[in-house]
Amino acid sequence: MTLRSCSREKEVRELVLRGQWPQAAGDELREHVAACRSCSDLALVMPTFLAARSQSAGSAVSGSVVSGSPGVLWWRAQLRRRKEAMERIDKPIVGAQIFAFAITIVIAAVFFVSQVRQGAPWLSARWLPLQWLDRFGHLPHAVSDYLAGLWTSASAMPVWGLTLGLTGLAAVALFSGVVLYLDRQRQ
Amino acid sequence: MRWEFAMENVAAGEAPIAAELHMDNDAFAGFYERSARPLWAYLARVCGDASLADDLMQESFVRFLCADHPQDGEVAARKYLFRIASNLLKDHWRRAKSTPIDDVPEEIFAVSQPSGQSESRAILDPALALMRPRDRQLLWLAYAEGYSHREIAEVTGLASASIRLLLFRARRKIAALLRDQSAGKRGAQ
Repeated sequence: MTLRSCSREKEVRELVLRGQWPQAAGDELREHVAACRSCSDLALVMPTFLAARSQSAGSAVSGSVVSGSPGVLWWRAQLRRRKEAMERIDKPIVGAQIFAFAITIVIAAVFFVSQVRQGAPWLSARWLPLQWLDRFGHLPHAVSDYLAGLWTSASAMPVWGLTLGLTGLAAVALFSGVVLYLDRQRQ
Repeated sequence: MRWEFAMENVAAGEAPIAAELHMDNDAFAGFYERSARPLWAYLARVCGDASLADDLMQESFVRFLCADHPQDGEVAARKYLFRIASNLLKDHWRRAKSTPIDDVPEEIFAVSQPSGQSESRAILDPALALMRPRDRQLLWLAYAEGYSHREIAEVTGLASASIRLLLFRARRKIAALLRDQSAGKRGAQ
């Protein structure tokens, strides 16, 4: 199918839009439209669609097809917007909470292990993590070696330094959440 | 720990800036009054189902209110509304496609006739039912709403360059169908 539009389509379109087709069209234009496929298509299709549009709009009013008042829609939109705003606010806070919780668990674990290493009287020596690692005999050697190395290097650090570092990380995580929250609220 | 204390104003209805709508109730009522009928007509013609058109129209207005729509006049706002409605139609067709064919009720395949049948609709509806949804969309936007090719591209999300050809083909097809309908009707009389 070749795309060949006619230069006289514009005249036909204007007459149809004014509701004056074919009454106000000259004989010459009518003859052209009768002979031109593109213009005759336009002269047939456009008035049909315009009539259908006005009839649909009419039935929308008379047949109460357009249900739902603008007030109800506005209220629904406001509820949805608030819900979205609350979700947006909640998201960084929940993230920061999860991160802070994870850091707390790590700090607690480090504290527990340091107590064991220092021979805390309330803990039995048989709970030493290195002995735990021995129980992972079924793990591949690379993994158990890595865990043992990790434990050795962690225990070599001063405990207070490690705790301070992790507490600092937790604080940064919490502040990031708060900054993100404030930024979202500003937006 | 919950953070309701930080959102007391949200819950109490004194929404912070992020939760405010971009149009107040009165302005929206006016906009709705002027836009609802053309939008419903577009949706009803393209999807061929009056009750679905109702649902999609309401959802379009709600999304329009929630979105950061253009603030440069009613024409742009209406175009944006039609764009939302077109995307909803697209989503609807996509969902319908993903449903196994055996689960789809028979009525879905037939284009139901909205109430208030008249002569031009009696000719147009059967012809439109034989067209592809995208062609119905293009034809309605071009000849009922009077949108330019560029505006149709914005509303439908199709490439601006392809609109001319698609519309030309769709018009040729529906013109042939309308002629057939008219000839069939005259023959029956």
